[in-house]
Amino acid sequence: MKTLGRILIILAVMAIVMGVTYAAVNAGGSSSDTPQFEAGRRPPFREGQFEGEHREGRDGREGGGGWMFGLIKNVGVIAVVVTLIVLPKSVARKRRRTAAAG
Amino acid sequence: MSEFQSSPKNLTRVKLTVDLVIFFAFLIAMDPRSSGIAVHEWLATAALAALIVHLLLSWDWIVQISRRFLGRVNLQTRINYILNWLLFIDGSIMMLSGFMISEAVFPALGIELPRNFAWRELHDMTANLFLLLLGLHTALHWGWVVDTFKRYIFKPLGRLVFFRRRKDVTA
Repeated sequence: MKTLGRILIILAVMAIVMGVTYAAVNAGGSSSDTPQFEAGRRPPFREGQFEGEHREGRDGREGGGGWMFGLIKNVGVIAVVVTLIVLPKSVARKRRRTAAAG
Repeated sequence: MSEFQSSPKNLTRVKLTVDLVIFFAFLIAMDPRSSGIAVHEWLATAALAALIVHLLLSWDWIVQISRRFLGRVNLQTRINYILNWLLFIDGSIMMLSGFMISEAVFPALGIELPRNFAWRELHDMTANLFLLLLGLHTALHWGWVVDTFKRYIFKPLGRLVFFRRRKDVTA
C-alpha cells in the first residue's frame, strides 16, 4: 500500500511537469508560426543529431555498425562528463591526503 | 525503512541491476536511427517502469533530503538533489514530447495526437540534455558505482576464476 502511494506520488509529479509543459508548448505553438505536420509523418531528425543519419535508411535498420557507433558515441559523452568531474576530485583528494600526511 | 529493504546487501544488488537495466535501455533508446523507431519508443515507455522502481529504491534518501534541503546539508548532496530533480523534469518532458510525436506506441493503441513541430525540437533538446545530466548523475555516484561493481561483480567473478583454477590444479 505504501509503495502504491509512492508510485502515485511519482506519477502525479510527473503529470504536473507534463501538464505545465503541454500548456506551455501549446500556448507558444498556437501564437507562433511553428510548422505543424501530418499525423504519422514525423519530421526528420536534426542534422548531426544521430550518427546513423549520415547512413542509409531513415528508420535505420542498417546493421551492427550503426548500433555500435551510436552506443559508443553516447557512452563516450557520458565517459567524458564522468572523467571531467571524477578526475579533478580524485586528484584534489590525493593532494589533501599527502598534505595531511606530510 | 523502505518496503524493498529486506537487507542492505539485497537492496544494493537490486539497485545495481535496475540501474544497469536503465543505463543500457537508455543507451539503446537514445539511438533510434540504428535501433528503429518502434524499439526506441517501446523501450523508452518500458524504461518508465524501471525509472519508477529506481525512485522507489531511493525513496528514503529523497524524503530525507527534501526535509533537510533548506537546513544543514553538504554541498555535494545539495547539488545531487537539484541534479536529480533536473533529471526527473527533463525526463518527464522528454517522455511527453516523445509521446506527442509517437509513430509506434500511440498509433498502436489507436490514439491520434495533434502534431506540432515544437514537440520534435523539444524532444531532441531534452534528449541531449538528458545525456549530459546522466553523465553528471553517474559522476556524482561514481564512488558507489565503483564500490558496487567491485563487491557484486568483480569480486564474485574473481572468486569464480580462482575457484576454477584451484579445482583444475587439484584435479
